[in-house]
Amino acid sequence: MKHMNARAFKALIAMSFAISATVVPISQSFAAGERLGARCTTEGVMTGTSSTSLACVKGANGKLTWQRVKLSSGNGRPVAALTPPKGSIEFWHWRNEDRATLERIIANYEARYPGTKITMNIMPSGDYTATGFAKIRANPKAAVFATFRGAQFNQFAKGDMMTDLSNERFTRQNVISGGMIPGQYEGKQLGIPYHYLFNNPVYNTEIFAKEKWSLPTNFTQLLAWCQAAKKAGYTPLAWSGGFRPNAGQMLNSMLMNSAPDYATLEARIVALDTGKAEITAPWFKEMANKYKRMADANCFPDNATGVTDAAAVALFATGKAAVIPTGTFTMGAVKAVNPAMTGKMNLFSLITTDEKPQYVGIHNNTFILSVNKNSTATDQKIARSFISYLLTGPVAQVFSVGTSQHTTVLDVDYSGNVDLLNTSSWQAKKTLLAPRFLWLNQGVRDLQEDALIAIVGGKPVDATLEDFAKQVKQKLAG
Amino acid sequence: MSVPAFLLYAFLYLYPALNNLRFSTTRWDGIVEPEFVGLRNFSNLMTNDDLFFKVMGNNIRFTLLVVIFQTGFSLLFAILLLKNSRGNVFLRTLYFFPTILSSVSVAMIWLFLYDPNWGAINIFFNKIGLEAFALNWLGSETSALYAIVFSQVWFHTGQMMVIYIAGLQQIPAELYEAAEVDGANRWQQFRSVTWPMALPTTAVVIAYTTIQSFRAFDLIYTMTLGGPNNSTNIFSTLIYLTAFNEFRFGYAAAQTIFMVLMILFLTWLQRRILRTKY
Repeated sequence: MKHMNARAFKALIAMSFAISATVVPISQSFAAGERLGARCTTEGVMTGTSSTSLACVKGANGKLTWQRVKLSSGNGRPVAALTPPKGSIEFWHWRNEDRATLERIIANYEARYPGTKITMNIMPSGDYTATGFAKIRANPKAAVFATFRGAQFNQFAKGDMMTDLSNERFTRQNVISGGMIPGQYEGKQLGIPYHYLFNNPVYNTEIFAKEKWSLPTNFTQLLAWCQAAKKAGYTPLAWSGGFRPNAGQMLNSMLMNSAPDYATLEARIVALDTGKAEITAPWFKEMANKYKRMADANCFPDNATGVTDAAAVALFATGKAAVIPTGTFTMGAVKAVNPAMTGKMNLFSLITTDEKPQYVGIHNNTFILSVNKNSTATDQKIARSFISYLLTGPVAQVFSVGTSQHTTVLDVDYSGNVDLLNTSSWQAKKTLLAPRFLWLNQGVRDLQEDALIAIVGGKPVDATLEDFAKQVKQKLAG
Repeated sequence: MSVPAFLLYAFLYLYPALNNLRFSTTRWDGIVEPEFVGLRNFSNLMTNDDLFFKVMGNNIRFTLLVVIFQTGFSLLFAILLLKNSRGNVFLRTLYFFPTILSSVSVAMIWLFLYDPNWGAINIFFNKIGLEAFALNWLGSETSALYAIVFSQVWFHTGQMMVIYIAGLQQIPAELYEAAEVDGANRWQQFRSVTWPMALPTTAVVIAYTTIQSFRAFDLIYTMTLGGPNNSTNIFSTLIYLTAFNEFRFGYAAAQTIFMVLMILFLTWLQRRILRTKY
């Protein structure tokens, strides 16, 4: 018996060691309590985007517990890149800031598949929006191209320019399926959104620590924080009212908790976009009033409507502003102005309700990669191979670290870029797909954003909304 | 010789112009086949588009101010720097310098200068105690257009000055000598000799400046995108945004026809006024 006890004791020790050696490294990567099978509180929350990540799921018994996350739409593990035939194609997009990283990735791809060549064609984003469609349609060699989420993707889809990627294994197994929605059109996956970015305000963690501020968690706290920050000599939000494209980013956060659910929000925006409703609608007016209350609480810079994008970035990068209400895509520009900002930024929830918020942030999936339907079969094969290569974890990691962008690709290690690492936990938070891009009529959206800019600039809410509602009506009639 | 020239002209100008005329009678998003709508785009422009009339007003104000100030300053600088002394040649080069810059660079420079909180212009006014002049230049509907007019005049005055200098140097010196003998002072010499003799050059400068101000797309697009509240939107920016931002190519084609008609009318008017003078 004594002998048996000693053997059992040794076996117990060995088992304990084996279990702890397996479980501890995994559980250490989670915050306290986030263990497989343990109870959780918020349905849908995830701990990350790797194959070991967990999600808070409601079981058959109605209890919320941490379960192994299933982020892809297929059941298998991520697949390797497809082998291309020999030949050459062009890759068209607008992101000159990613040129060096993509050149490196393409060089690696070409070295791996000798005889296959990818030539990048990068256009300025304005030109790409304006003339990209016509140029790519006339050029079958442009076998891979990227589109913006929303109006541009829809334009290409409507023009029947993209092949269906729904049944590709890389579509089902290599990417976060929740990030694929912007690349779908009439039930088909016509493009793979590559970027997973956050259109949340970004805050200076050093200033918040120095001033001992805690992050506001509701609208009342937000207004109070704006006043406190202003009093302490900071510009609370470096909002660039003089540059609509970036000023409009804040609209995402303002819309985030403005409707009881996403379907209602979507229906409201579609109604505004198509003229079935006007911006004098009570819900829009309520949101416009919140802009005004924020302006009254000194949340925005002085002369906010004249502040350019460059000035807003400079304000934030030099520590004169505590928050820049654009998104993670601004981090690169901030670090270019002041490299010392590296590692000192994180995402800020702009909560504009005093009730329990449904969402704490905004994400967007864009830079949608598609295969040109007008290309030859061989070129399409190369294109699919190149996309599948971009959708492998190690390649996406090179892209992410090099461009400071999260991607929709599974099993990417963000530890090579401190700002990505600091914000990667946001991929696990309950964020809303940027609603600003639900507007497909750019002219209508511009007018509605101009109305909000005018209100921040001091124009009365009711009269401004009525004036712009009339302009929208005329635009839609034309 | 004239046939190839005509064919080239027809291919590069006539065909696109006629095509534009055709598109103006359609509703077209640039993707699906254009749908024929007759004169609906034109009637809509005339009866149900306040923005179009606002833009027309902006464009007329912009053109008038640019033509008056650009022509005035370029003539003034040309007269002051007419003699080919070393100092004058240096100053001519200096004034001409903005012309060789890219329009986007010029726009970026002025964006920084006009910044309401950190721009050099407002800092200057605040330093000398003229806070009332420190405006939200590009962020206010009342000042944005004038701020861009100033930038446009700064950008192109040097170019027009060179044209004036070339014209003024052709005026025979004997005319001035005769005027001096007759006891004419500097102002009388300008009024009776310089101005009448410079009228043909003025006609060229005004016509060129008018067309240039109608096409002041780059400065406006870079500095304000036509805002705030369309207060700096002119025909060229409106047409671009209608076509390439909203994908309403048919409507943009109709707007283009109005712009061309307006330029033709203004050029005709200018030539008519100036022709009576020389």
